[in-house]
Amino acid sequence: MNTIKKHLPKSVLIGLAAIILPFGAQATSDTSKNTHQLYEDNCASCHGSDYGGFIAPGLNSDSLKGRSPTALRSLIMTGSFDTLMPPFFGRLSDDDIRGLVKHLQTTPKQTNPAWTIDDIKASIKVYVKDESTLPAKPTYAINSMDDVIGVAARGKYGRGSGSKAVFINSVTHKQIGEIPTGTAAHIIDYNPANPRWAYVKTDTAEIFKVDLYSMQAVRSVKTGFNGPGLGVSRDGKYIMAGSYVPHNAVILDADTLEPLKTFELEGIDPDGKMVSSDSGMIIGTPFADIFAIALENAGQVWVVDLKEGFPVTKIENVGRHLHDAFLSHGGSKLMVASYDDSIVTAIDLKDRKIIKKLEAGCVPHVGGGSVVEVDGRTLGFGTNFGDCDKMVVSVWDLDKMEVVKQVPVSGGTESPAAHANAPYVAVDIISKDRRARTIQLIDKKSLEVVKTLDVGGHAYFPEYSADGKFLYVSAGYSGDEVVVYDSKSLEKVASVQMESPAGIFSHGRVRYMTRGLSPDEMKGAK
Amino acid sequence: MGLVSAQSVNAASIYAGEAKAAAVCSQCHGIRTPSADAPFPPLAGRDADYLKSALKQYRDKTRKSDIMNAIAGSLSDDDINNVAMYYGRLKP
Repeated sequence: MNTIKKHLPKSVLIGLAAIILPFGAQATSDTSKNTHQLYEDNCASCHGSDYGGFIAPGLNSDSLKGRSPTALRSLIMTGSFDTLMPPFFGRLSDDDIRGLVKHLQTTPKQTNPAWTIDDIKASIKVYVKDESTLPAKPTYAINSMDDVIGVAARGKYGRGSGSKAVFINSVTHKQIGEIPTGTAAHIIDYNPANPRWAYVKTDTAEIFKVDLYSMQAVRSVKTGFNGPGLGVSRDGKYIMAGSYVPHNAVILDADTLEPLKTFELEGIDPDGKMVSSDSGMIIGTPFADIFAIALENAGQVWVVDLKEGFPVTKIENVGRHLHDAFLSHGGSKLMVASYDDSIVTAIDLKDRKIIKKLEAGCVPHVGGGSVVEVDGRTLGFGTNFGDCDKMVVSVWDLDKMEVVKQVPVSGGTESPAAHANAPYVAVDIISKDRRARTIQLIDKKSLEVVKTLDVGGHAYFPEYSADGKFLYVSAGYSGDEVVVYDSKSLEKVASVQMESPAGIFSHGRVRYMTRGLSPDEMKGAK
Repeated sequence: MGLVSAQSVNAASIYAGEAKAAAVCSQCHGIRTPSADAPFPPLAGRDADYLKSALKQYRDKTRKSDIMNAIAGSLSDDDINNVAMYYGRLKP
């Protein structure tokens, strides 16, 4: 379905209506169109351009059935405490808020809007025309580009001047640059072949190609309406991006951001139903010239070969509602989280087959995962939302592909951080009460929680600096700072202020592939 | 002895104030500063007595604001004292 294109003639009609129809009728049409725009401009980056939900719940006639308009109005005014939902009092007029509530309670979830390869191509913006004019070296003091840490700052409203990618020198803990992104930055990925390029993806599916040496965006492209999926190929030549709205993925030239091929995401789910699917994780691997992409609703993982025609190998029956994943064994094994059956499925990317399905707590969200080598074993760590009764972090032996331990923690978790030189695996407790302020640290050897840090705010997305000496944590919404700890003593050593920081991405990730591995082991595994 | 316990009472209430501020006030006013795009005044470093009297006026609706009347209405005297103390001592 082509909502965008369909709206065009409609707006022409409204223009006509303004001429022909009496005043009252014109006002109604305009209001409905304006309210839709109001939704797109204020709500859609989190609640989904199709009204179907994204990182926040869907808002449509079905999901809001029976809800009190008064309660919804006050929720929009005050925001929702303990969530990312900001207060719109003072930003939207009371009439607008009332109008929105009425609009949402009468608008069904929209059909998948089109965003074609031509739309993608036309959306490219060039900020630096001649890249040969860029400096040959970083314009700031830094020992190694591995020391760059990027933070996806959402901004209070998920858009506006607070939305940016902030880059920090993880040795000095000083900000070295920031890239305004317009809407909430969500994912930062780095080019494995050339340390100067980073790619920042927003919640509204724009990708910025960032020159880290001069700390500016050189190009951007809009790959869809919503969706965090982003991967970079091992040779640094391709990017792949996937969307929730619409249900597609695209391979781009990493240099020009020109789209090369789009993929309609649909397939037969584990229950035998043909479904159109959101894009889950997309990952490039040091193991081969491929991308792997998870089709969330179809429960399939597709392996795309980076050669003529970009052929796809489909691996079916991976799980019910896939989400994120991490790599192990030189990038030849992929561990994919499956929400609805609470498993992590191990996939062999060489044979393109499922190895095994492993128990993974409750609603696993591995958030990039962690892999550590301890006493001759390769251990994978997986977090999970823990919405049911099980509050554990799963530890798997990735050689034998079996569960080693389910480590009890104090709540649901979203992302584990580890580093070869740091003694603890850090997990963020996200349960919506005081526990959300905390990070728990699991000792790599004993596999027990040995310490709980009270970070403040909604603490999440821990990440170690590339040298493993420091642990970075976002104090998130209601904290508005990134807090830095010494990774051994766990003393707080620094704080960097920004609006609603979320994901933290060390440039070191390109060298150790999955957090916790050392670059040496990576070489050995290849 | 008296001094020590007075101090710990103080510390406890600031901690409680921090928790309440993080959960309620910071939603709009931020901790140190509100969002660059937000139409709300900063509270950090404001006079604690002023904050207390303002919150009490909002609570008993002698000072009118749709949103503050609703939010202050849910705060106890202790909450108001704690929050005002916390924000008053915070460096903006």
